[in-house]
Amino acid sequence: MEKEKHKVIEEALIQEVAAILSRDAGTIDPELALHEMGLDSLGFVELLVIMEKKFNIKLMESGLTKNDFKTIKSLSLKINGLI
Amino acid sequence: MLSLPYSKTKRYLTGIDWIIHVLNYMTIKETGADFMSQIAIEVAGAVNADELFNRLNAFIKKYPVLYGYASRDFNLAPYWKIPPVKKADVLFDSVTVENDAPFETFIQYLEEKINTPFKDKRCHLAFHLISSDKKSFIAMRFDHLIFDAANAEAFLDLFQKELKEVTHSDYKAVFEPAHLSLWSEKFMAGQRVNRAFLKIADKVPPRVLPLPAVKNKFIFKILSFDNKDAEAIAENAFNEAGYLMLMPYALAASVYCFHKIFTDRLISSGDYVIPVSINMKKQGEENNRVFFNNVSFFIFKIEADLAENFTGLINSIKEQMYNQVKEDFPGDLCRASMLMRIAPLSLLGRLMKIYLKGQVASFSFSYLGEAVYKSSDFMGQDILNLFHMPRVPVPPGIGIFFQRSNERMNVILSYLDGILINDEAEEILGLIKSRLGVK
Repeated sequence: MEKEKHKVIEEALIQEVAAILSRDAGTIDPELALHEMGLDSLGFVELLVIMEKKFNIKLMESGLTKNDFKTIKSLSLKINGLI
Repeated sequence: MLSLPYSKTKRYLTGIDWIIHVLNYMTIKETGADFMSQIAIEVAGAVNADELFNRLNAFIKKYPVLYGYASRDFNLAPYWKIPPVKKADVLFDSVTVENDAPFETFIQYLEEKINTPFKDKRCHLAFHLISSDKKSFIAMRFDHLIFDAANAEAFLDLFQKELKEVTHSDYKAVFEPAHLSLWSEKFMAGQRVNRAFLKIADKVPPRVLPLPAVKNKFIFKILSFDNKDAEAIAENAFNEAGYLMLMPYALAASVYCFHKIFTDRLISSGDYVIPVSINMKKQGEENNRVFFNNVSFFIFKIEADLAENFTGLINSIKEQMYNQVKEDFPGDLCRASMLMRIAPLSLLGRLMKIYLKGQVASFSFSYLGEAVYKSSDFMGQDILNLFHMPRVPVPPGIGIFFQRSNERMNVILSYLDGILINDEAEEILGLIKSRLGVK
């Protein structure tokens, strides 16, 4: 169950990152650092805002650490813990 | 005969395009020259002027849109009138300098070029070559009516790709609808933008540096960091502002440094208001939206009391950025500005100053991020650096710009001569360097 929830979040993140970068979702590697994919400050904040709305969470106020942000995988783990 | 809405000779202007026309109008009025910018590409070795001219000329002639001008349609929407063909040659000049000429010599030539007004309303683009045997600068001067900064780089990138035959441009996508529908959506956006500006507006105007009384030229100061320093700055931004927060970090550093100059000048009334242009074009759209402006803006208000507290500055900027993204302020500005196209430039110029009691901003800022020009060479010659030299809209007539190229980071301070004295400009650069944590 937990694994499935994590998968859903990761998939949502992949879809949103792909939309922000105007890329095909299949080309998004969840283990690659977000900056290496070409995400900038604006794109990153957009991603956080979308995820907050989607999962009804407060990411910005949740005490995010640097490691939470690094990849889609780490960010999805963080979101999973907040839901 | 009436032209069809989607004709090859007509491209409707968006609201943001119209705002750029207003800024162009205001800048010409104050300085005698356009709201324009210049991309300077520094390459190793000498460049053959004839070959460069011939290649550019052949390329540019494929784009008559570059020789258009603004007009109004029967439906009152402003549009860009595109001539059918371009017969005249591209504007080009070249100069040779001594082999051991210092960087300042090149900058002086580049400054002279960017301060030269275009001769008529159909001229928007010119190329300049400053060459020596050791290194050369190729400069593309353009007004913002036809390109924003990222689009100008994309256009040069297209030129380079065509030279290498990586791509063969078949560019037809200069069309834009008139946007004469979805009025309620535009009015709602207008209402939200109005509220946002009222929130920023104060009883007193924002903190500004006084403009010179005469029509002066722009002066440019450039800090260029190599890959090692650029990485160190990114690391410092990561540690102090958070992951991917280079833009808020650079803006906070700029406010922090400008504040010192304002304080030394005993300018103590009002807070700082800074418009930050952002690229609204998504990745992959580089080649099909090359012309005109695909930008919008964040508007940051920084309380002067906070300007000496760097952590507080970063937090305030991040919070405002988050809120503006959440409320889609940049998107609202794009939609609301469609309504403003009905106003003539002179009127809109006056209206833009109403919220901030006769002012527009304290200074301009942009963080261009990764280079759009991707190639490591220009016409086969290794690129040493690529930087922008933007004439800032007047007012405010002063701005600071961060931009990446070829693993380097450039910081460009641009100001109307007389707004700062040379010592103050040098002091800002010194402060920026130290605030970014570079020795």
